[in-house]
Amino acid sequence: MMKRRDSIKTMILGSIGASMTLKSCITSEDKIVLDQVWKYSYGRTQDELKWDYKVLTGKFFSETELLTIEKIANIILPPNNYGSIKDAGVVELFEIIAKDFSTPAHNEYGEKVLRRGLIVFNELSNALYNKDIIECSEKEIKSIFDDIAFNDNEDDHLQEAIRLFAVYRGMVLTGYFTSEIGIKDLGYKGNTPNVWDGVPEEILKDYSVSYDQEWISRCVDQSKRNDIAEWDEDGNLLT
Amino acid sequence: MEIIKSKKEYDVIVVGSGAGGGMATKILSDAGINVALVESGPYFDPANPDQQTQLKWPWESPRRGAGTNRAFGDFHMSYGDWSLDGEPYSSVEGTDFKWWRSRMLGGRTNHWGRISLRFGPRDFKSKDFDGLGENWPISYDDIKPYYDKLDKLVGVYGTKENMFNEPDGFFLPPPKPRLHELFYIKGARKSNVKVMPSRLSVLTKRINNERGICFYCGQCDRSCSVYGDFSSSSCLVIPSLKGGMVDLYVNSMVNEVITDKNGRATGVSFINKENGKDYKIKGKIVVLAASACATARILLNSKSNAHPNGLGNSSNLIGKYLHDSTGAGRGVFIPELINRKIYNEDGVGGMHVYSPWWLDNRKLDFPRGYHIEVGGGMTLPQYGIGWNPNDFNKFFGLRTGGYGDSLREDVKKYYGSTVYLSGRGEAIPLKENYCEIDPESKDKYGVPVLRFRYKWSDYEYKQAKHMHDTFEEIAYNMGGIPLGSKPTKEDNYGISVPGEIIHEVGTTRMGNDPKTSVVNKYERLHDVDNVYIVDAAPFVSQADKNPTWTIMALSWRTSEHIINELKRQNV
Repeated sequence: MMKRRDSIKTMILGSIGASMTLKSCITSEDKIVLDQVWKYSYGRTQDELKWDYKVLTGKFFSETELLTIEKIANIILPPNNYGSIKDAGVVELFEIIAKDFSTPAHNEYGEKVLRRGLIVFNELSNALYNKDIIECSEKEIKSIFDDIAFNDNEDDHLQEAIRLFAVYRGMVLTGYFTSEIGIKDLGYKGNTPNVWDGVPEEILKDYSVSYDQEWISRCVDQSKRNDIAEWDEDGNLLT
Repeated sequence: MEIIKSKKEYDVIVVGSGAGGGMATKILSDAGINVALVESGPYFDPANPDQQTQLKWPWESPRRGAGTNRAFGDFHMSYGDWSLDGEPYSSVEGTDFKWWRSRMLGGRTNHWGRISLRFGPRDFKSKDFDGLGENWPISYDDIKPYYDKLDKLVGVYGTKENMFNEPDGFFLPPPKPRLHELFYIKGARKSNVKVMPSRLSVLTKRINNERGICFYCGQCDRSCSVYGDFSSSSCLVIPSLKGGMVDLYVNSMVNEVITDKNGRATGVSFINKENGKDYKIKGKIVVLAASACATARILLNSKSNAHPNGLGNSSNLIGKYLHDSTGAGRGVFIPELINRKIYNEDGVGGMHVYSPWWLDNRKLDFPRGYHIEVGGGMTLPQYGIGWNPNDFNKFFGLRTGGYGDSLREDVKKYYGSTVYLSGRGEAIPLKENYCEIDPESKDKYGVPVLRFRYKWSDYEYKQAKHMHDTFEEIAYNMGGIPLGSKPTKEDNYGISVPGEIIHEVGTTRMGNDPKTSVVNKYERLHDVDNVYIVDAAPFVSQADKNPTWTIMALSWRTSEHIINELKRQNV
């Protein structure tokens, strides 16, 4: 009986303080691999950590494929003073997404789309230059992209390549603009504690818009935000 | 099979820790009542660094926040979405329903939009106005005192507007509009659409010394680590645990309400998800708050000699009248907003302005209204940004696609130039729309699962059509270009799949007549005098308001009723 009561007790508040680290559910051999790849800490559940571990430790693309992706990505978005595609982790993202979007629910994206892209791009470079993309010069690759990078090319034979190129372009840009350097490049200013007190005056002027006085007279007075709210019985704020 | 029983008898067992269960737990335990709170998911506290996603950057997720694991992206704070491994559900052929389940302390209140609207006088008596659906057995006056107390306890910003069906409350002051919201105000007014400050349960001003105030990161959907927004776990359950009257059971999935030979509830049985074992705990009163469909499932699975077709189901109405809010949306490109000067406009986690229902349905070809929500701005980049970097070139007669440095400039050029308009409307509850036990399927714990049958009627399609006509008019009036094409009849006017808006209600509706309703006006089963339901299952109709505020006000009212019953020893 004592034992049964104990097991009920463990459920009560069972998970408080339970540290949810991936390290508690893996073997010591795994740990060596894990320490190399694990740099993410973003509030995962146990099940999510297990999935992440699978995604981060498996291998989808070959070295040649990854080098090809890097070469393509650098032409889609060349480096600038903020950094390069490599600095933005874009090649790594291709590898992760290929494994992450690998279930039937995600339509085997890695195989059917990302790897398929490399196959199709290599077919095009072989037809034109008799070699794979990885062997091509930047100029040769650009000549291939000129045919498949724009949405107005109606050549039937190129439609699959155009669709796949759009995915590659999307992956490269989304990877870049969700990276630390890409967000700096974009200039995004938020994701940090601050006090919103309306659109800056000069911006309002730029757009010839203004705040309706009646509207903003009822908005929060940020100098009184720390005063505890009190109301009269009709709901008028007193503080 | 081993079943582990506890000797202790609780005064009240509360099943589920979301809006309704959290409120019941607080009110009951504050009154010195002994409560067992049974939650199917893990403990959750957004202040716990191991669980926190607030203020994370996209690169802190290996997939840059993509939605592989969580439907709304890696940082979204819901454990569980429209699908859960090993816990299936199905729909009758030719129909579709998507069932959202958040399995965690606080449930869906950790991810919701914090839109906190009172139902108005008309919303409780809609049948009097259009002859459709059913009236509630209570009126606005019955619930008003609880809305008032709720505003003060939990906090909601807004403004007094003196509109008949959008009752005012005890509001904190709203934040000033963002730039794209000023464009919306301009466009909406030109279209004669009412527009006013939104009403969100976000603390723009301090309400007590236990909770922090909003620091404008725009991430309420990640659940606030300083409790600057409302979630049941942060603001009701965790504080209640400190009072010593609550035993919290986590990862404990209730599958049945246990009854004695007379059919009265004596407790609940649940499965501990960590060890797979079955447990029973005893209580004088059982309060269900597992969410509308999960509560219906528990009741329908609680069969006994006294209740052969499910607990409290003599009316055969459990699961019936299931309904969700309608939804439709349209993106709008604002050419004037290209090449923006960048400043921090994260604001609160949601809109600063919105449009309540502004028309008279007697002059329209559909019976119930909708409100319009506004999204947009220079938001935190997530997986997907830049995917079609220069699609809007087509509006300027320029080529789309390409490669090279110009793409970088295109992404910057169009960043923050899109506004998104969403309608959320009231559907007519129908008996033909329901959930029921699927005789063929069980979940991984061996418990029978739900099967849904839900179809919109012409009322909802016509309403969605009206939404799209309105979006287009407002889009042009704000100087914008509506994106894509307007959905037609063949596209079902772009209406959401039932369940997608995550406002499902109505499965144990409230009424005075036990033949046509499942619970009475205090949310107690007509058939069993010690089982109450405080989630959205008792809703007679889901107004064009978000349901949370009404779930909580009703739960508070029911909890006071339970306290009185216990005092009078009626239970």
